[in-house]
Amino acid sequence: MPQTIAKKDHLLSYLLIIVLMGLLGLWIKGIDIETGRQQAGVIIFSLGLVMLSAYVLAQIVNFFNLPLLTGYIFAGIIAGPYITGFLTAEMVDQLRLIDDLALSFIALMAGGELRLALIARQGKSIFLSILFVTALVIGLVVLCVIFMGHYFNMTSGFNFISLVIFAILIGVICVARSPSSAIAVIKECEAKGPFTGMILAVTIVTDVLIIIVFTIAMSLSKILIKGGSVIQLTEMSGLMFEILASLIIGVVLGQVISFYMERIRRDFLLFLLFLAFAVARLSIGFNHVMEIQYDISLHLEPLLICMSAGFFVQNFSRFGSSFLESLEKMSLPIYALFFSIAGASLNFDSLIHCWPLAVIIVVARMAGLFGGSWLAGVISHDPPVFNRNAWMTYVTQAGVSIGLAQIAARKFPEIGIYLNTVVLAIIAINQIVGPIIFKMALNNVGESGRQ
Amino acid sequence: MKIFFAFLLVIFLVFSGYHLSFRKLRIPLFARKFYLTGLEFLFLGLLLGPQFLNILDLKTCEALEPVTALLLGWIGMLFGFQFEFSKLRRFPRVFFLAGLLESLLTWVVVFGGIYFILPFILQISEHMRIVISMVLASAAACTAQTGLAMFSTRKSGNNQSIIRFLRYLSSIDGLVAMLALMPVFVFFPRNTEIAASRFLFGYDIFIGIVIFAALLILYNLFLIYRREQSELALIIIGMVVFISGFSSVMNFSPLLSNFFVGVCMVNMTSEKEKIFTTLVSIEKPVYLLLLIFLGSSWHLQSFWVLAVAAGYFVIRFAGKMIGGFSISLLGAKMKAYPPGLGLGLIGQGGLPLAILYDFQQGFQSETASIVVGIALISIGYCDIACPTLVGRLLKKGE
Repeated sequence: MPQTIAKKDHLLSYLLIIVLMGLLGLWIKGIDIETGRQQAGVIIFSLGLVMLSAYVLAQIVNFFNLPLLTGYIFAGIIAGPYITGFLTAEMVDQLRLIDDLALSFIALMAGGELRLALIARQGKSIFLSILFVTALVIGLVVLCVIFMGHYFNMTSGFNFISLVIFAILIGVICVARSPSSAIAVIKECEAKGPFTGMILAVTIVTDVLIIIVFTIAMSLSKILIKGGSVIQLTEMSGLMFEILASLIIGVVLGQVISFYMERIRRDFLLFLLFLAFAVARLSIGFNHVMEIQYDISLHLEPLLICMSAGFFVQNFSRFGSSFLESLEKMSLPIYALFFSIAGASLNFDSLIHCWPLAVIIVVARMAGLFGGSWLAGVISHDPPVFNRNAWMTYVTQAGVSIGLAQIAARKFPEIGIYLNTVVLAIIAINQIVGPIIFKMALNNVGESGRQ
Repeated sequence: MKIFFAFLLVIFLVFSGYHLSFRKLRIPLFARKFYLTGLEFLFLGLLLGPQFLNILDLKTCEALEPVTALLLGWIGMLFGFQFEFSKLRRFPRVFFLAGLLESLLTWVVVFGGIYFILPFILQISEHMRIVISMVLASAAACTAQTGLAMFSTRKSGNNQSIIRFLRYLSSIDGLVAMLALMPVFVFFPRNTEIAASRFLFGYDIFIGIVIFAALLILYNLFLIYRREQSELALIIIGMVVFISGFSSVMNFSPLLSNFFVGVCMVNMTSEKEKIFTTLVSIEKPVYLLLLIFLGSSWHLQSFWVLAVAAGYFVIRFAGKMIGGFSISLLGAKMKAYPPGLGLGLIGQGGLPLAILYDFQQGFQSETASIVVGIALISIGYCDIACPTLVGRLLKKGE
């Protein structure tokens, strides 16, 4: 009973905070913005508002046993362009660099959470999970879109070839996950154990493999449109180089981090901030130079670089645990910032425009996730409770999917806009539902609170 | 010339890296002092900025504006947290008065000096002449504690009490600087139309007080219940960014508004120790980042700025000497300290950097960049001269 009263008091204080911040926000919105400094001030103010309201909303949704992540995302949605407009689309765009910095930190953390021993122990489960989930998700989504595509306004005008290409690309994009969401929910639930290790490994490795699968899908689509019979080797070798280069840079970065922790130690967070900034900035610069100067579409992946750096420090140095401890000190502000901006970026125009198709694809995807993970678990003799719940942890989707959809949209402009719209709508649903069922899965398996 | 500078910077940074890696390296006293203040990060900023590598270009700096606002606000709040009334009362009142007097006199001397010589150096409006004089005087009024910290373990007897007193003065004199900075943003903001309207400032003051009260209530609502350290970090970062944004929209200073909120919070909340621990935990990275941002916009167009910076240094030196001397006139208790106390107050420290950056952000123009560049060089002079001057003062006291 006293706990209920305490919760009610907490809730009241949170509601007061929301009201007060809302009033201050409305007042700021009423001011005429005349100078550049004021313009920058509005963005800074909105960022502060979103961070604080993300914290408050996360506490509120936590009363209902929902993950904090859901609160952060809801705060972003409410502050974003579709509801209150405190964060406009332009502001979200301007905050991209800060967003990238936060993502680099999260990727370092995700890599640091991967233990080599665990991967070796559960290698079979992990491998089969990736294989079956990828195959079933692509298969079910492709079939679903091809057979039901003609019932929807958006796709009814496509000829058969375009519909197949559309289906293949959507199917592949549906395989992508969100390692950042996974790591945030795992950290919040303080989950640890074989199930947690396996799903994290599957999520991270899938995020690397999806780039390869996507490139193959793009080549297939080109063949379908232009004819021909072979997948272009130059594209595949370029892609392999891109992944390899990112992994090698990550390893070097991991070495640098280990050296720093061994010899210097002080101002470690500042050092990591530098690294994250350098990786984000230099990757963009490198990709730009390769594209403009040499017409080579090589893309270093900051996410992959940071993940492999974190993985290296965790598994090949003495500083794995102190490295993670340092990162965790700043994890809460970083999660609140990153996921609230992610919430503000969710595209509800797309969802309104094509929700029936998006819902059907989401359902097909979930069926694929369930079927694939269940089958893999049964073959690997994993505990039944793992097999029943694993799919729930694979639902979240974010940045990588958007990136892939944008690349596909550029290559196939005739279906590009539709592809983008449907992918954004799917992500909006998955990113709202995903963290909630993720937390449920960890609770069901009994690995929450074990750290 | 550019390549030459770049080469020098690279050598310099390699040396800095070496110093960071091998801390037992014996380096001369002036260089040790230099590293202690972290001025090498100013050069790192210069290297990363548009003049050399262009990694911190204008667009990147714009994208990182929330970070810079956070830095300024963080420093403001941290400084505000030093003014806990119950702790200040533990010292004799005359100490407090001495700190204020020394700082005020320095401010007046530097303001007068800069206001007089500015027209000979820069062609600027009367509005900017007043603003620049006030900003440079405020920056000059502050004293660094770091320089004094180097001596505190080595000296004994009378010198120990002198160092303690100097450290007390250096923690107080920033108050005058902050209060004197306020009129810059209230009466002389960048937008002259706003400046004109602010002369009817009754309404503005009323609005300001209401908003300030609302922000304090908001902060206290967050702290009604006990929070974990990580939650507290999020709340502090969020509030600092929130308040900084609010200030920028209102054409006010993020540094000052967070300072005032900090002063109120340290005297109001029971969570002050935890908040202070959080603020202090990243104090050094915050200062170092500020140095990098300042360095990235540093203008080193010609060598004349070195001479002008020397002029600013001399005026500040005179101000500190007058301020230090005036303390000995405050009564019998102050007779125990040497009249040349000003020699111990030459190190300028981190708060002036924040003041300069705040000014640069609030009055973005080439003039502001040049002025800040000059002031940065002068801070360098001060930090290099400080150990020798403090040593001389203490030698006299022996």
